[in-house]
Amino acid sequence: MPVRRVEHIMGLPISVDLRDGDAALAERAFAWLREADDRFSPFKPDSEVSRLDRGELTREELTPDLVEVLSLCDWYEESTGGAFTAHVPGRGLDPCAVVKGWAVQRAADILREGGASAFCVNAGGDVVTAGEPEPGKPWRVGVRHPDIADQVCVVLGVRDGAVATSALYERGQHILDGRTGQPVTGILSITVFSDDLAIADTTATAAFALGRDGIEWAAAQEDCEVFIVDEDRRVYSSPGLPVHIC
Amino acid sequence: MKRAIPVLALSVAGLVPVWLYSPGPAHEGEINEAAAAPETQQQTQNQAQNQPQAAPKTTGSTPVPQQQQQQQAQTRTVSGRAVNTSEGTVQVQVTFQGAKITDVKALRAPNSNPTRMALPLLRESALKAQSADIDTVSGATATSEGYKQSLQAAIDGAR
Repeated sequence: MPVRRVEHIMGLPISVDLRDGDAALAERAFAWLREADDRFSPFKPDSEVSRLDRGELTREELTPDLVEVLSLCDWYEESTGGAFTAHVPGRGLDPCAVVKGWAVQRAADILREGGASAFCVNAGGDVVTAGEPEPGKPWRVGVRHPDIADQVCVVLGVRDGAVATSALYERGQHILDGRTGQPVTGILSITVFSDDLAIADTTATAAFALGRDGIEWAAAQEDCEVFIVDEDRRVYSSPGLPVHIC
Repeated sequence: MKRAIPVLALSVAGLVPVWLYSPGPAHEGEINEAAAAPETQQQTQNQAQNQPQAAPKTTGSTPVPQQQQQQQAQTRTVSGRAVNTSEGTVQVQVTFQGAKITDVKALRAPNSNPTRMALPLLRESALKAQSADIDTVSGATATSEGYKQSLQAAIDGAR
């Protein structure tokens, strides 16, 4: 039985389009996402992240899940020379940028382990797909055009994979470069295709924080294919990107 | 830190032929060029022979002399010198099947990023807009308000 459901968790609209499975399986995935929000949100005083930040927990006392999230944060922070950081000055520990992709990937894993073989999970524009929506066809994942909200600038054809986009669409929004504390310039939109959303999402976010340097940095990441629009509306794409010809 | 090494290895695999191929002083100061440079004359020759196959993959545009092609099926592994750079120590290892590079490994690589290695792997094009038939939208939709207005909401039947 197909199931379609949208719920707002972690401040994100999360859509599940389950082509084979049932409502109970979808609920397990959503339950995990609510649990992840409770445990890892820096905005919830009782979360593990908040308790760590207040010094109530030591690194040795953390759950393996948070250790995994923090090690991802550390790796990307080191790899970007600090442009990407989970330690924003004045805001304390904020691993949200990693938690989102990581938790949504695990939600997809829950669907898969529960027997679903064809689904699409979309969390605030970050996507995990499995199988095919109909026999012989990939999931068609449109990438939002950076200037025109109701159009796309490329369509990817994805079976089992993850697509994440980091972008600034509206004036007044900004992402800060952790190295300088200044708003990032150079890139309008960066999309990363990988087989795991934790990797795709964090790579997109970290590359965005690097500004123009992020173009080449993202392209050099292992198992990542990129589609990047710079401020001059030039597109840089990896030859291995699974572009779907409509 | 461990993951930086495969990342760098991939980058090196793509670029070694380019470094070796580009003539002239353009790479002056390019830290990794020295690391890719082989230790002996014989290795130099092997790598030179490889250029015709490798160059089109990375640049696609440089005219390439074909005269040095030899049909050797021999497998040979060559390690470059370890080179100290301001970014750390760099050393690569290249495996040849005859005159063709079949593998490149970074034996030692600095952890610092971003690298400037991947540019030749990217294609450049103009930005296009289309209203295609799609199943889902990838984009940065951070707010509920933004979602209501979004294509994804339309797909979800929520608007």
